[in-house]
Amino acid sequence: MTLSRTAAPAAAHKTRIRIGPRRAPGRRRRVLAHWPQYLAISPFYVLFAVFGLAPLLFSFYLAFQRWDGIGEMRFAGLDNFEYLISDDIFWLSLWNTLLIWVMSTVPTLTLALVLAVLLHSVKRFKAFYRMAFFIPNITSTVAISIFFGALFATNYGLVNAGLEAVGLPEVSWLQNAWGIKIVIAVLTVWQWTGYNAIIYLAGLQTIPSDLYEQARIDGANAVQIFRHVTLPLLRPIILFTVVLSTVGGLQTFTEPKVLLGDTAGTGQSGLTMVFYFYRSAFSHNDYGYGAAIAVVVLLVVALFTILNWALVQRGQNERSR
Amino acid sequence: MTISRRRLLQAGLFTAASAAVGASAACGGDDDSGSTGGDSKDLSLWYWSGGLSDKVVADVSTQFSDITFKATQVGGSFKDKLVTTITSRQFMPDITGIKGEDIAYFMGQAGQFLDLNELGAADVKSQYLEWKWQQGSTPDGKLIGFPIDIGPTALFYRADIFSKAGLPSEVADVTAAMSTWETFFDNGVKLKKALPGTFMVGEAVEVFDMAVGQTTKRYADKDKKFIGDQEHIRKAWDLAAKAVQLGISFKVASGGQDANAAWNQGTLPAKLGAAWVAGDIKSAAAKTSGNWRVAPMPSGPANQGGSFLAIPKSSGNPKKAFEIITWLLNADNQARGYTDAGLFPAAPAAYKMSALTSPDEFFGGQVTIDVLGPAAEKIPVAYESEHDSVLREPFAAELSNVETKGKDPEAAWNDAVSAAKKAGERVGVS
Repeated sequence: MTLSRTAAPAAAHKTRIRIGPRRAPGRRRRVLAHWPQYLAISPFYVLFAVFGLAPLLFSFYLAFQRWDGIGEMRFAGLDNFEYLISDDIFWLSLWNTLLIWVMSTVPTLTLALVLAVLLHSVKRFKAFYRMAFFIPNITSTVAISIFFGALFATNYGLVNAGLEAVGLPEVSWLQNAWGIKIVIAVLTVWQWTGYNAIIYLAGLQTIPSDLYEQARIDGANAVQIFRHVTLPLLRPIILFTVVLSTVGGLQTFTEPKVLLGDTAGTGQSGLTMVFYFYRSAFSHNDYGYGAAIAVVVLLVVALFTILNWALVQRGQNERSR
Repeated sequence: MTISRRRLLQAGLFTAASAAVGASAACGGDDDSGSTGGDSKDLSLWYWSGGLSDKVVADVSTQFSDITFKATQVGGSFKDKLVTTITSRQFMPDITGIKGEDIAYFMGQAGQFLDLNELGAADVKSQYLEWKWQQGSTPDGKLIGFPIDIGPTALFYRADIFSKAGLPSEVADVTAAMSTWETFFDNGVKLKKALPGTFMVGEAVEVFDMAVGQTTKRYADKDKKFIGDQEHIRKAWDLAAKAVQLGISFKVASGGQDANAAWNQGTLPAKLGAAWVAGDIKSAAAKTSGNWRVAPMPSGPANQGGSFLAIPKSSGNPKKAFEIITWLLNADNQARGYTDAGLFPAAPAAYKMSALTSPDEFFGGQVTIDVLGPAAEKIPVAYESEHDSVLREPFAAELSNVETKGKDPEAAWNDAVSAAKKAGERVGVS
């Protein structure tokens, strides 16, 4: 190995002099010459190929098959997709997903921005606050879901106890179509606000302070400064968080699964697209259909990501014009 | 009729030969070299935490000292891991557990497992409950799943709350007074009147599933015909809807914080459930020890849950594997399974053993086997289609609409039937 490593570049060099126009083999050899570097970065690509790319490609393949998990696969053409279009439960799951996504993402990002501005101005215990707000994000979603299930329990939950204490009626959170969505959204907000706040904070720290000074000299108040200085300069960061929230929020699964079990709650109000795909494949052993739903999930996520991207970008272009 | 020595020998040889032929034929399609040998000394078992008594499993090595035995508790979703392993044809165990809720699915994949009848299961058949044996057998009589445990259902109730509400509270009286769904519901209405905010039924779908389990038919028959729109399902539906209409349903699924708290507080003093529910109540409502009792379920018992052991066709030593299974699950060890893991025996001989006949302090010193034992033997045999879970889903979903959204039961029934029919058509049930 050591021998070839030292010899290869020399040989390549010689070859290049002798037969100039044939560059391809030389290039290949140059690639080979860098094998330690390629080896060093290979773990990611190998793991991604095995656990990311291969299942992805297999899902595409599976989406056009009928398969019960063990027996023979049968080619089904577009049958799975045809069934999907006529499947009320799929449309219900899409609707549930979009509602939960909007109900969780909008408050998350708004709160995160406010929180970031506050964190930015904090002078003491900086590390403590940042830690405190980030911890929910690294806590197991399953654990949080179990905890929220107890918080929002109808008869003995803390939330209803609080409502009762101030004279409001109890709410059957987890037995009610909207209640279920609210609980999932609140859970998501709680888990992701800190994470997004830290990202915004990093963005805020890149904004030069002399811009704020100039604005203040021009007589802008705090709200005006926020609207006309902070927001436009944070736009790329906001775009980033919107994309991440779209990708994550449209794939909500763990929260309803743990909170509600396989029934997905009253009127299947907690049935998200990914939950439905899981249930179709692994509970109902209809793996082809599960894969078809997964492919559509990918399309929906891609669509909304592009849409959001375009919206936020267009805003930026108008502003810079 | 006397059997001559010669006949017996002939029969014995024939059985052995057919077992060997069967085993090798079953292994024929597999190119794994280890699978055709059939005398491997390394045997492995897959089960899940609580699926068998760990102590009995540990004793296999001493009981069968001529082999190396490796038992693995597989965590996570057991069925998914078994399916993945079967599909990949690698690292297959020689013996595997199959959960009760998955047995119908694996019945559809019977070719992946050995027919235990060919290994001599018929000899021990009489020791196990007939309906459970049927559940582990394919329609053409192959035994795929060997019975581990069962889940005979009963009415668990709190005697203190019942007596406070002026209802019968002694087991014999409750048995007499709530022998049918109608009288059970009547008592539910009385209970609610005497103690407002107290409910007899956990949720409507509980009544529905129990009532379906009391019949000999389910959602599809052996010829893949959809029968979910027929009388037996409709009756179960009407019972569940009636519980909602009478206002005696707590409308909360068991297992969660709300139901557990209600067991403790006495606002949900009854639970329709399988034998293993006793364990759930004991851990969720330890404070109420001594107040609970077990009575027969209104209108007869059903079954919920209960698992099986199976031998995959790739097993390295099917004969030995079968020996291990029959030892693991003999009546004595089933009684140990009840003590160690709360597994209700599928071998009735165990019901007379001290592990089951000793009084249970949690149930006020009641000998619960007096109720659960007879229930176990009376469970109806029903054909369970591999598509049952798909076909049941719309009914459960629509029933929850009736219960929590106030949807009209008639409209919900029609929606459930048409959704189930549609789901059935997709899987070839119509």
